[in-house]
Amino acid sequence: MKQAEGALVRLLGVTRRRRFDILSLKAFPAAEAGFYDVQMTVRADRSGSSFVRQIEKLVEVSDVEVIELTDPAETARAAHSGT
Amino acid sequence: MKGAEFLVKALEREGVEIIFGYPGGAIMPVYDALLDSKIRHILVRHEQAAALAADGYARATGKVGVCMATSGPGATNLVTGIANAYMDSVPMVAITGQVPTHLMGTDAFQEVDIFGITLPVVKHSFLVQTSEELPRVVHEAFQIARSGRPGPVLIDLPKNVAAGSADFAYHDNEFDEHPPVPHAGSLAQAAELINASRRPIVYAGGGVGMACAVDEFREFIERTRIPVVSTLKGLGAIPTEHELFLGMMGMHGTKAANYAVQACDLLICVGARFDDRATGKLSGFAPHAKVVHMDVDPSEIGKLRHADAPVAGNLRWALVALARDLEITAWQRHCLALKESHAWNYDAPGPGVYAPFFLKRLSQLAGKNVIVACDVGQHQMWVAQHFDFCRPEQHLSSGGLGTMGFGLPAAIGAQLACPDSCVINVSGDGSMMMNLQELATLRRYDLPVKIVLFDNRALGMVRQWQELFHSRRYSEVDLSDNPDFVQVAESMRIPAIRVEQQKDVEWSVRRLLSEPGPVLAHVLIHQEANVWPIVGPGMTNSEMLDEVPS
Repeated sequence: MKQAEGALVRLLGVTRRRRFDILSLKAFPAAEAGFYDVQMTVRADRSGSSFVRQIEKLVEVSDVEVIELTDPAETARAAHSGT
Repeated sequence: MKGAEFLVKALEREGVEIIFGYPGGAIMPVYDALLDSKIRHILVRHEQAAALAADGYARATGKVGVCMATSGPGATNLVTGIANAYMDSVPMVAITGQVPTHLMGTDAFQEVDIFGITLPVVKHSFLVQTSEELPRVVHEAFQIARSGRPGPVLIDLPKNVAAGSADFAYHDNEFDEHPPVPHAGSLAQAAELINASRRPIVYAGGGVGMACAVDEFREFIERTRIPVVSTLKGLGAIPTEHELFLGMMGMHGTKAANYAVQACDLLICVGARFDDRATGKLSGFAPHAKVVHMDVDPSEIGKLRHADAPVAGNLRWALVALARDLEITAWQRHCLALKESHAWNYDAPGPGVYAPFFLKRLSQLAGKNVIVACDVGQHQMWVAQHFDFCRPEQHLSSGGLGTMGFGLPAAIGAQLACPDSCVINVSGDGSMMMNLQELATLRRYDLPVKIVLFDNRALGMVRQWQELFHSRRYSEVDLSDNPDFVQVAESMRIPAIRVEQQKDVEWSVRRLLSEPGPVLAHVLIHQEANVWPIVGPGMTNSEMLDEVPS
């Protein structure tokens, strides 16, 4: 994400507002000048994919990569359907 | 050129014709520059009204509404209006003065971190730290405000940046503001579900109007002949008098709309977000239905209800692609029968004014070139139930935030946006007191807004909830010490009439509509008038109450 005024605070604010707990957070200058790389681990009882879509809406965010996603909603659906 | 001068010229270049605002120390350089601009500044009497008026202007036109205030309390007074625009996805640019950069962070006079305060309630925000940033910031602010899912953008402008000089050049980046075309696979999925459905319902939200997709939406309905329900903000996506329109759905929706949705096998959600006012108890909402969800904002799809066919992107494109002939005659007949059997009854229960009848009569006599700006409460729901709308931009109602005090400033914004329209502010005694000072703004600019003030001497909606769900334990809802609203209006040189009896509805509505300038009708209604039907907390939309439980 861009190194713009308030960018990191905005990202953390969305995370909190959407009721995701931050388990770990690293932010450091990216290879591309003027950008951060942010690595964040979050947890919630909600769909992780919906959280990703909220983050992607932020103007400063240029790309979101999900390293690992354990989605409780999708896990519950899979259990219910027997798959 | 000074930063303030450039800002004003950049606003002109963005097509801004009106700014709603209130001056102060930190924003003074901009007010100085405004004197040399063709932009018209509307001076309100409270900054909250500036933001709400900009909101009303934007809702009525689809253009970006602009409001401005000084730092500190001026900026914080904008926050409710900014949040209101955020919740209803209204395009707005809010400009706040800020203390000089060398004083920021020192608790200076009238310094607040408005950038930080508004982070959760803006689509984006900028703190302009150098003059060189101004051209890019102004241009980007407007692009962000109006593109995709619209929303408010804050520009916080330190005084030294506004007062400082630089060589400015307008910023013209290439920014594709058109929403992306929906994925072909998603459209194919949606088409399959529509073709297979036997009991489809279209659930239309505010997104139809905001996407300028009303024409495509109506063609979709005329082609498919699928019955339609709407949210509060979706009213007017199809004319409310259309035979296929079943009414608003949800907490105070029509019985026909709610029963139809609960029975449908396919819910086609167009520009709506499954808000709790619309769905009732979510787990019991449309229990038999698969869902096609069309929205420009992918984050809304699947947020509250799983979408069997998610269609993200350009709504106009999607509606054209999915329009088709269907054979659902039996279902259409069923829905129309529901509509007929649950039609409204306008018999007044006594000699006093029956608000639904008043609004129905007002709707019939006001004509098609009308805009209604509501406040929040029982009267708001009665407008949604009983006033007819031809287009979504005719109905200005604070949906997501439910801001009391919205109506009068929004009416001011709408009247300035649409000077040839009949603009009506429908309000209640609770809401009217929240921005009462704006009657002075109405008079100052001779805006011919017609105000209907339903006065039940109570905070009506809260009183109704305490009656129904808190065992009649009434807490802080007594407004029997209201001022005489006729005298208040007349003190501001606005003519006013009082309406107390049902037999006075006809002449008073005609009097209201024939007044050439602003006018207020103080309409007394029964203190215990309730909005029916109502879906109570934790109930599904099938469980509507239409009388007080014994």
